[in-house]
Amino acid sequence: MKESIRSLEELADYVRSSRRRTRIAVACAEDPNTIASIGKAVNDGFVEGILIGSGLKIKEVCKIEKVDSAIFRIIDIRDEMESVSESIRMVREDEADVLMKGLVGTDKFLKAVLDKEKGLLPEKAIMSYVCAVQLPRYHKLLFISDTAVLPYPDFNQKIAMINYSVAMAQRFGIEKPKVALISATEKVSDNIPHTLEYAELSKMAERGQIKNCIIDGPLDIFLACDPQASVIKGVSSSIAGDADVLIFPSLESANSFYKGLMLFAEGELAGLIQGTIKPVIVMSRSESAASKYYCIALSCLMGGER
Amino acid sequence: MQVTRLEQILDLIKPLPRKTLVAAWGVDPHTICAVYQAISMDLIEGILVGDKKQIYQVCENEQIDPSRFKIVHSDTDTEAAAKAVEMINAGEGDFLMKGLLSTDRYMKAILHKEKGLMDKGAILSHVTVAEILTYPKLLIFGDVAIIPLPDLNQKIAITNYLIKVAHYLGIENPKVGIQAASEQVLPKIPSCAEGAMIAKMAQRGQIKGAIVEGPLGLDLIVDKESAQIKKVQSEVCGDADCILFPNIEAGNTFYKSVVKLMKGELCAIVMGARVPCVLTSRGDSEMSKLYSIALASLLSGEKK
Repeated sequence: MKESIRSLEELADYVRSSRRRTRIAVACAEDPNTIASIGKAVNDGFVEGILIGSGLKIKEVCKIEKVDSAIFRIIDIRDEMESVSESIRMVREDEADVLMKGLVGTDKFLKAVLDKEKGLLPEKAIMSYVCAVQLPRYHKLLFISDTAVLPYPDFNQKIAMINYSVAMAQRFGIEKPKVALISATEKVSDNIPHTLEYAELSKMAERGQIKNCIIDGPLDIFLACDPQASVIKGVSSSIAGDADVLIFPSLESANSFYKGLMLFAEGELAGLIQGTIKPVIVMSRSESAASKYYCIALSCLMGGER
Repeated sequence: MQVTRLEQILDLIKPLPRKTLVAAWGVDPHTICAVYQAISMDLIEGILVGDKKQIYQVCENEQIDPSRFKIVHSDTDTEAAAKAVEMINAGEGDFLMKGLLSTDRYMKAILHKEKGLMDKGAILSHVTVAEILTYPKLLIFGDVAIIPLPDLNQKIAITNYLIKVAHYLGIENPKVGIQAASEQVLPKIPSCAEGAMIAKMAQRGQIKGAIVEGPLGLDLIVDKESAQIKKVQSEVCGDADCILFPNIEAGNTFYKSVVKLMKGELCAIVMGARVPCVLTSRGDSEMSKLYSIALASLLSGEKK
């Protein structure tokens, strides 16, 4: 990529102009949210939609949503779990490039993705989640992890989260992303065990054990994202308020942070499951239509170069 | 003045008000001669706590004038240690020295809960200052003698002691290398992991007055070229003033290598008590004992 993608609009522009159609297999594609967002992506010319589920229900929803069902390839499977396993099979056997969750519980869906023999996770790979968040009041995209999958990431899971986030940021054209390891304070203390791990992770990047990025932590959100804060607090940091990536110590903190941004700060996002052999889209129904569209666009970007 | 040779410690204390040494069970020729030498060089005042008869006998044998000391009688070594500590607490002396009693008994008196020299929560540790011909500056390191396997908080305390000694020696912003098996952060090796933690703490200002880098192999700490080969960029590498060792085996082995293999000279003190404590062993050279006394004297005053 020559130029970097600096916003989610630019992400959508980029995949629209790539003249490539990504084949997305949607498991249990029977709900209006899913059909509307995938329909828009198909109509915009960068996605081939393969909808797996009850053909009857799919067509009904298409009618209500005013989406022409003829733009999709529909595979009629009424049983929920069969629909999930068929869509995973298609992705694994290269009949589709991306997997997407429709009207099925996230737990059941991910369990199938994690299945040792029939799933999409390579042996020993760590499944995690990274999302790119766009905020009117931050000068660039923020890549945040883990907002959805790992409740209390251990040391190796944190390394995986960093590597996934860095890889995604690089696909957006950020050569050496700045990774901030987020805590409540910038101090290292054995009262807060993750701050000890953060010190190790920062040094690992310095020593070249974690590559392609600059890491500093512990930092609070101010020190990570506000250049003034470093000056005021007198904290010398290789990030100094210019973070590209925020790594959170727990699911609660990451999840609350991004949802707060969506709700109060007019944020939009694009997120993806990480660690799988091909991109997996899991969206929450409460996300905005724009965010859903961006999730699909992101899967096309991440699945595009293989 | 920044000190680069042990001899200069003597110059540092000469202009300062003379401090008073209290020797616990100072009844043997080694202790008496060392204290006497410091007194005769006009560096300190000395109190010997011990059996009067024995002290006079040694003075006679060594042709030393006993009136140069203040002598406080004690019947046994344990009693002498307690008395010496009591005198320090009463303000009659400025720093302590071990005489002919075992290190255990000496430490027991220092660590005694009610009558000892420790403030609550204080960590007792041993700091060595070495002069090595092949290294352009003094090396201050620990702990080679007291804490076998320091935990993170003890390591932080030791680091602070190293820095404090460096400051007293006129080294304003000492460079501290945290020694470990590798410069890589290998989470399964505690010395590597904790090296990273302590370095980050220093970067965050939680450890002040020094530049701290770790984890580092000993080669990277004392040799710039090794650091360049391993692509570790730190101003500490090859120019360290202080070394924090991960455990007593590593520290003690280095300490003994300085004396036995590198023909270096060194001196040492125990820190963490209310006053510096001298803990020389009989095997130490005359000069080493003198420098240790001088270092303790220096550390028992205000920093200039």
